[in-house]
Amino acid sequence: MSAPTAPTEDRASSAPPPGTKESPGSSKRVPLSAIARRRSLTGWSFIIPAAALIVLVNFWPMIQALFLSLQTGRGTRLTWAEPLWLNYQRLFEDETFRLTLSTTFIYLIIQVPIMLTIAMVLANLLNAPWLRWKGFWRTAIFLPCAVGLVSYALVFRQIFATDGLANDLLIKFGLLDANVNWLGQTGTARMVIILGLLWRWTGYNMIFFLAALQNIDRSTLEAARVDGANGFKTFWYVTMPQLKPIILLCAILSTNGTLQMFDESFNLTNGGPGNTTMTVSHYLYNVSFRNSPNFGYAAAISYAILIIVAILAAIQMKVGDKRD
Amino acid sequence: MKKTRTLGALGAVMSLSLALAACSGGGGGSGEDETTGASGGTGDNSLTVWAWDPAFNIYALEEAEKVYQADHPDFTLEIVETPWEDVQTKLTTLAQSGETDQLPDIFLMQNNAFQKNVINYPDIFADFADSDVDFSEFPESVVSYSTYDDVNYGVPFDNGTAIGAYRTDLLEQAGYTVDDFTDITWDQFLTLGKDVLAKTGKPMLTGQAGSADTIMMMLQSAGASLFDDEGNPTITDNDALLAAIDMYGQLVDAGVFVEVNSWDEYINTIVNSNTAGIVNGIWISGSIQSAADQSGKWAVTNVPKLDGVDGATNYTANGGSSWAITPNGNEALATDFLNATFAGSTEFYDTILPASGALANWLPAGESDVYSEPQEFFGGQPIYADVLTFAAEVPSNNTGAYYYEGRDAVSVAITNILNGADPASALEEAQSTVEFAMG
Amino acid sequence: MTKTQLRRIPAYAFLSLAVFLSVFPLYFMAVSATNTSNEVVASKLLPGSHLLENFQTLVDSQPLGSALYHSSVNAIATTVLALILCSIAGYAFEIYHSRAKDAVMAILLLAIMIPFAATMIPLFRLFAQLGMVNSTFAVIVPLIATPFLILLFRQASRSFPHEIIEAARLDGLGEVSIFARIYLPTMKPTLAAAGVITFLFSWNNFLWPKVILVDNAYQTLPMLLSNMRAGYVTDYGSLMLAVFIVSVPTMVVFLALQRHFAEGVTGAIK
Repeated sequence: MSAPTAPTEDRASSAPPPGTKESPGSSKRVPLSAIARRRSLTGWSFIIPAAALIVLVNFWPMIQALFLSLQTGRGTRLTWAEPLWLNYQRLFEDETFRLTLSTTFIYLIIQVPIMLTIAMVLANLLNAPWLRWKGFWRTAIFLPCAVGLVSYALVFRQIFATDGLANDLLIKFGLLDANVNWLGQTGTARMVIILGLLWRWTGYNMIFFLAALQNIDRSTLEAARVDGANGFKTFWYVTMPQLKPIILLCAILSTNGTLQMFDESFNLTNGGPGNTTMTVSHYLYNVSFRNSPNFGYAAAISYAILIIVAILAAIQMKVGDKRD
Repeated sequence: MKKTRTLGALGAVMSLSLALAACSGGGGGSGEDETTGASGGTGDNSLTVWAWDPAFNIYALEEAEKVYQADHPDFTLEIVETPWEDVQTKLTTLAQSGETDQLPDIFLMQNNAFQKNVINYPDIFADFADSDVDFSEFPESVVSYSTYDDVNYGVPFDNGTAIGAYRTDLLEQAGYTVDDFTDITWDQFLTLGKDVLAKTGKPMLTGQAGSADTIMMMLQSAGASLFDDEGNPTITDNDALLAAIDMYGQLVDAGVFVEVNSWDEYINTIVNSNTAGIVNGIWISGSIQSAADQSGKWAVTNVPKLDGVDGATNYTANGGSSWAITPNGNEALATDFLNATFAGSTEFYDTILPASGALANWLPAGESDVYSEPQEFFGGQPIYADVLTFAAEVPSNNTGAYYYEGRDAVSVAITNILNGADPASALEEAQSTVEFAMG
Repeated sequence: MTKTQLRRIPAYAFLSLAVFLSVFPLYFMAVSATNTSNEVVASKLLPGSHLLENFQTLVDSQPLGSALYHSSVNAIATTVLALILCSIAGYAFEIYHSRAKDAVMAILLLAIMIPFAATMIPLFRLFAQLGMVNSTFAVIVPLIATPFLILLFRQASRSFPHEIIEAARLDGLGEVSIFARIYLPTMKPTLAAAGVITFLFSWNNFLWPKVILVDNAYQTLPMLLSNMRAGYVTDYGSLMLAVFIVSVPTMVVFLALQRHFAEGVTGAIK
């Protein structure tokens, strides 16, 4: 599989490597600053439609949410909080927030590493030169990703019902003696949610890893083999460092997705038993739409999620940096 | 992705938002005067309605439309199928953003959520204070759901009166009849239930784990609630609640009540004959009758009552819904439509009952022949007439603005208690959760 | 030779297991679409003969055709607009690269971290004030510009040789023509990848359409699914059929574009 620009690659050989800071916008070959300025403006005009839209549908509402987070009251009867940060203070006293946040972290800490590891193993297998029927394996493993969230929650609930398929099969194969109430106990219910996430998203991440693997410079692998490194050593010392950017990207996207996770908690377990599978986003939804609506507090919760995601992303980038 | 760039941007966006915030002072609150393509108020002779079940309340609406059309040939209803969760989400969104002109003329609301919405969003409701609707023709307990500060905001529709429905064939195997389960207490029920379980291997009841439905029914049967008249939570020091939770625990421990995880599994236990009975709102009869092979094997009676609790009765309710109208300019027509159909037409209720099992809350409907017709599925028992006599006996229950907080907190407490937590401290925790949510 | 083949058995076994686990729930979904409600609930694993009845029930009770139409229009319009807006922005971020643009890009990326539940109400108010409630436009607008897609195109543009652009400029081509006639045709794989991702996301989008579409005339398939579960009695046979029907188009889109999809992601991951 070739890179998209392969046909023209050789023509670019005399140019600085693509992606470096030396790009034509600031190129010295253009003598007239007027042209440069006009090009820069053209650049902006290409960017502005998308950027303006992102500001309009993401940042503008978020700024309004910031104001909202400084107000208290139910429904539409809102007043400025006293002190202004009252809703943020409230977060630290809220047992349900604490519970849902720690549950979300459990999903994050268990699911993301497992998912990325499995995705990496699968991607490596699919990248093996000797493997047959590559298209079949890849397609089949990616397919769950095409299923809608509502749909897959329905199917999983059916499979993990107390008299459902999972129990039937496990008992038939002698792995269980009696029906397990999967969704009725904290541990197993969380496990089902994690399984659901793994099922739906492993193939998606695998595609990204596979793509990155196919981009790895073959000569580095050859060199390692000549030096007598075995398969695992080659992978760990040669392949992995080159995969780091994509692992980082997938880790950040998955972290972000997990912290904003709503559908699984809402449709699969409805937060039960005893709120122990509820995610923060599900709690945010309840505070806004199920309970007596407290939008000021809901906005504060959303800022808490935003800040946590940002901090985690920063940490991941920091850790990613150190291993350089 | 360049690490340093994004890192810097974190700080950048924070300061940017602050800067933008500073120069956009009063962003919220404006815009009510903007007129948008309203879905409500579509014309003089047309009403828009939100409801959610094609086999049930939407079907009822369609029949009501026909009845009303007899006198008003130009009248049309535009029914927008909207699941209850979505009705709540949309109402909240519209009310919160001040876009009330997008409201329909009529919407259906769960009784349990009625006061919460009236209290928080008075702007989306028109009241029935000046209407001709005679609320004395509905059971008081039902009207109280949609009444706030002595003003009526809803016309009751869906009857939520609780029934004890039992499998006569299974009871017979254990040597009982449905009479043995009529006018009894929960203690007696437990004893009978253990016997039935021993002899047939079937539990007497099933229910959804983590749902407080059964507890709430027990509470209401004694006229108790999770809140006092001022709306303060009364989860601790609530004798009826303690008795209900204690009894529920005993039922589950004895295996007489089996908890399942989801609504689907719950319905399954009925359809697959995995339970000898069900205690729930009368609307459950629709699900019971979906198991055609069980025709003639069911009987309906009242529910057990709590022992040693003041005001305990054999009558309670679960669920049910009422019609609300919005101040959209069509109040007069909407009120007249509801008054002529849901609050005034025997013919209408006679049509919808056999076809959809939608049992009226409107008491005069019960006098009709259709209601006293024997139901083959229930062994020839005229269950609808029977249930209407139960309905009149149901004690009122306080819902208030924080009903869902209270109910969810109690659900969590029950789960914890069943897992071995001390009831008193679990309920204290529930109380403080609700107090926190209200604070 | 046989020894290496032997060593490959675990690999094939692992892949087979992964494929089995991935496909099994889909198989269950497909089989359930042919069974009665009670059989679905009883987890019957063999195909039944109730497919036509389920289809009849589904069509009778739900506006399947209309929802299919609106979902398709929404998904296709979203995908086309997203590809245009994001590809040109991603291209500009790289080709007309400057410090200021880098900073803007970094800020835009932050939008990925914003929880939707928090922005929903202000967003609704915004569209209501613009008079756009109940429109296809309002459904798709929040989805057409996403930082992730812009990032994808920016990364892909890194391997695009800038000399070609210079040459085209010398030939007198305008900046827009260079983008549209020279750059875009080389970006087919990236367009495919971005298209698949956007289509999946738009097709399955649920919370926003259900809020912004006050009127059901524009109802989409995920909304239809949720309507089917709203009543006191649910028919699981036809529900599973609906679930199946909802899932098929996304699978077809992926199957059709999957070769390019992998390539496109590759281009972006340099």
